[in-house]
Amino acid sequence: MTVTEPEAAYPVETAAPAIERSRQWSVTGGMRSFIRRSPLSAFWGCIAAAVILMALAAPVLAPYEPLKSDFRAMSKPPNERHYFGTDQIGRDVLSRVIHGSRASLAVAFGAVLFGTTLGALWGLASGYFGGRFDILSQRVIEFLQSFPDLILAMAIAMALGAGFGTVIVAIAITRIPFGGRVIRAVVLSLKELSYVEAARGLGASHLRIMARHILPQCVAPYLILATTHLGVAIIIEAALGFLGVGIPPPTPTWGNMLADSLNAGLVPPWWLVLFPGAAITVTVLAFNLLGDGIRDMLDPRLRSAV
Amino acid sequence: MYSYIIRRLAFGALTVIGVSIIVFLVLRVLPGDPLVALFGPEGFTKLSEAERARYMADLGLSDPLAVQYLRWVGDIARGNFGRSFFRAESVGEMILRRGPLTAEIAMLSVILSWLVGIPVAIVSALRPNSLGDNVSRFLSILFLAVPGFWLGMLIVLAALFLFGYRAPLTGPSLLADPWSNLQVVIGPAVVLGLGQAAYIARMARSSLLEVIREDYVRTARAKGLSRRPVITFHALPNALLPVITLSGILLGFVLAGSIPVERAFGTPGLGYAMFTAVSERDVFVMQNLVFLYAVVFVLLNILVDLTIAWLDPRIRYR
Repeated sequence: MTVTEPEAAYPVETAAPAIERSRQWSVTGGMRSFIRRSPLSAFWGCIAAAVILMALAAPVLAPYEPLKSDFRAMSKPPNERHYFGTDQIGRDVLSRVIHGSRASLAVAFGAVLFGTTLGALWGLASGYFGGRFDILSQRVIEFLQSFPDLILAMAIAMALGAGFGTVIVAIAITRIPFGGRVIRAVVLSLKELSYVEAARGLGASHLRIMARHILPQCVAPYLILATTHLGVAIIIEAALGFLGVGIPPPTPTWGNMLADSLNAGLVPPWWLVLFPGAAITVTVLAFNLLGDGIRDMLDPRLRSAV
Repeated sequence: MYSYIIRRLAFGALTVIGVSIIVFLVLRVLPGDPLVALFGPEGFTKLSEAERARYMADLGLSDPLAVQYLRWVGDIARGNFGRSFFRAESVGEMILRRGPLTAEIAMLSVILSWLVGIPVAIVSALRPNSLGDNVSRFLSILFLAVPGFWLGMLIVLAALFLFGYRAPLTGPSLLADPWSNLQVVIGPAVVLGLGQAAYIARMARSSLLEVIREDYVRTARAKGLSRRPVITFHALPNALLPVITLSGILLGFVLAGSIPVERAFGTPGLGYAMFTAVSERDVFVMQNLVFLYAVVFVLLNILVDLTIAWLDPRIRYR
């Protein structure tokens, strides 16, 4: 499913600063309290970190070359030489799953870094300035949200032609409206607060107010949104690969591997289907649960409700 | 209520115009040369200048963009969805032939998602943090992470290995042959339904938990009503309002999700046609299908808003 959380799930009203300011922020202290508060999220956070490490160290970890065919071992079920079996042209499935994490994560992080961030900045500006710019922005965002995100991503990926960059752009564009709406709502409630008014009264420029007084308050909702979007982006990437508009083969991606398995004959061998999909599921699960944990930590008020 | 309906419809019309502009921009303007999109970069270089000019003129691509846009919108308004570049059947005929199957899948999946999601949510919300609650929450989180098309492929494989069963490859209409129609439809509907059920259960659980704490629920309990009628007649109707909204939005996403899922099952529905159009780089079919999906999505959202307004007077009179 490529649906994003309904917006109600995000902390929209951030009237009171969500992070305790009094305590000195330290990385280890933050980690410790995160683990204590939600051990399950911390566990899945470790899995997410492991997947990221796997992507970084793929050439070292993979037992075989992901693109090299071994014509003596084609379509072999899992055995002691190939733990996940081999595909129809004798490529090692385990190595391809390990290398597939690179494409998935690179696309997901790229899309979130561009899309969610761009959307967030847009929402920041439109919420802060208001007026005609805001109305126009809201309409454009609404138009973009009138497409189910997979369909928009498919159309853009197809229009731009298959490739690594175009997949990132296609998914990033579908992330923009969510970032825009969530951050705009936060900014709308923030800009009425007296400390922002005070800064304006003291003669601070718009840029300074946005950067120094409003932006820091948007970090928490942004982080929550970004982690959720990582999971969504991974699923969209896989679906695009599965439909043949993702990163073009022979690059191993989980979606491409699933699409390939359908070409392996009338009935796809089970090991070609099971392992790439399981990799997608575990990765998305890890990022989603990490996101839930981050939300619980940054916005304790939602903890009791959900 | 009437002024609300009119406002919402006017707004929807504006959105449809905006959507058509975005579709046109993405699928006509973004590819640069439409012939590159049709033939692919390698195929394009093999065409001679004269061939290129002929194709451009044939397809009406040498006119200014504004003229092309208006012509396209006019065609659609007259019900002419154009023709595939690669096959004889017109897009309109294809939609009529394949659309009902996908619509059936979507409706069935929504029904399934309510049948599964709501009872799970009630059990969860009545005993928060019990074993049943934790299991159902884990399952719903799991199903949010499982890609539907992968689940579909697994189901097809499992049915084949365990029962030697394979769904029929053609999709006869519900009226002509209900039994084989059901066999084709049930797989995608279950996969898409479970995916939605996860969202529905999550939303209904948190919404029910909130409503249960309301004063009027406590009053109903205090006046001596037993637990069951309080939940079914006092809490549930109010808790379901956000679930209806969510379900409508999800229905739109199911239409998109059915594209890879129909590919996984080999279902001959509209989603599969979308997949074919994408793999053939058929921009004209894509343009019309994407627009169709977006319009359906917009209409669904309007329908949901009106339903909610009808059920909840607070929204109508705002």
